[in-house]
Amino acid sequence: MSAEASNPAATPTPCEDSQGDGRWMSQHVRFVSECKEREPDVVFVGDSLVQLMHQFGIWRQLFSPLHCLNFGIGGDATQHVLWRLSNGELDNISPKVVVLWVGTNNHGHTAEQIASGIMEIVQLIHNKLPNAHTLVLGVLPRGRMPNPLRQRNAEVNKLVQDALSSLSHASFFNVDPGFVLSDGSISHQDMYDYLHLTAHGYQAVCEPLHAQIKSLLDKPKLSL
Amino acid sequence: MSGGDLNPAAVPLPVEDRQGDGRWMSQHTRFVQECKDGEPEVLFVGDSMVQLMEQYEIWKEMFSPLHALNFGLAGDTTCNVLWRLQNGELENIRPKVVVLWVGTNNHDHTAEQVAGGIVAIAQLLTNRLPKAKIVVLGLLPRGEQPNPLREKNATVNRLLRSWLPRLGQALFLDVSNEFLHSDGSISSQDMFDYLHLTPTGYNTLAKPLSDLLLQILEETPEERRASLV
Repeated sequence: MSAEASNPAATPTPCEDSQGDGRWMSQHVRFVSECKEREPDVVFVGDSLVQLMHQFGIWRQLFSPLHCLNFGIGGDATQHVLWRLSNGELDNISPKVVVLWVGTNNHGHTAEQIASGIMEIVQLIHNKLPNAHTLVLGVLPRGRMPNPLRQRNAEVNKLVQDALSSLSHASFFNVDPGFVLSDGSISHQDMYDYLHLTAHGYQAVCEPLHAQIKSLLDKPKLSL
Repeated sequence: MSGGDLNPAAVPLPVEDRQGDGRWMSQHTRFVQECKDGEPEVLFVGDSMVQLMEQYEIWKEMFSPLHALNFGLAGDTTCNVLWRLQNGELENIRPKVVVLWVGTNNHDHTAEQVAGGIVAIAQLLTNRLPKAKIVVLGLLPRGEQPNPLREKNATVNRLLRSWLPRLGQALFLDVSNEFLHSDGSISSQDMFDYLHLTPTGYNTLAKPLSDLLLQILEETPEERRASLV
């Protein structure tokens, strides 16, 4: 496992305000506030795939009833999520489940670096919330046709799945219902820009995810 | 008004595939194909503000019934939209209205350049579709609190308001004020990341936009199909 200092994907890093409107920090501050005000049973954390889930009807239908908070920020890579969780977004709450979905935006990092970054987040969550179970979602394929990022994401999933198999406080969950068709293409009916999910795409992801979360919540005893 | 090649925001440019999955070009190619397959009365073109609209219920409720096509592409600047429109996204279609919403991503350009870029796109649309009305949407404020990009976008809007009337077919619709609270803040209920609209946010925009589109469509006489060569 790479040491933190030599893996940018595993080094907590806030997002720089390169555009000038401070939106990333505004969102982070809002999430920290929500931790003080709410008592979620489930916290979703990650990038735009998490954030946009909150905008669709499926969230209100499946996840609101489970008392969920959504800490997704568009564009976030593993190092950004690591920073946010180290700086208040896990404080004052005791969720039973943390859903982690991140990794597709780690451009320039190798699959090994990204997987290490994800495992660094899993460890951090366990340190802060020893009674929570972390559900790590597989990174989805992207791009209309086969391309290097699909290979990278598949490799990340394999590495993460292996690393998680020995842990009792965290597990891997594959949410890809088969987005890649027999000709290797991804349909815009599932991912309107070949990365972000449509309502239809979210339906296919969220139904099994909801069932998995419910089964974790219904467990009588959580791992210590 | 800025001239074509003196204004970097009016130079047509495709987006480079930096990430490695060719998604920008895949989307553009799909839009070009949709021009071959569809006969839209309304064409929406722009950035993620346009693209995301199609993902919410509001699109099915208010804009699909108008026979609308959505050529929004996240991250696009005026340069990118200009390139797309010159490279196939206006072929074989004769919409009666084009809704143009772009400019908030032009980070390397001044407000004057951005406004000039938007006017250049409106001019292109009018040249290619002389009978179409062009509805230009004002750039919305962004960021949770007042910040330089709010001033920039407001300046773009001010310039558009004064420059667009010179193009007879262009109309300007700006709903920015609907999103600003008395303390200058923007709510995450309207913009989940202080830039992109929530379904609630889109509802605020959709009503005046839909009213305007219906008005235009009612006024426009039916074009004879024979004129489509």
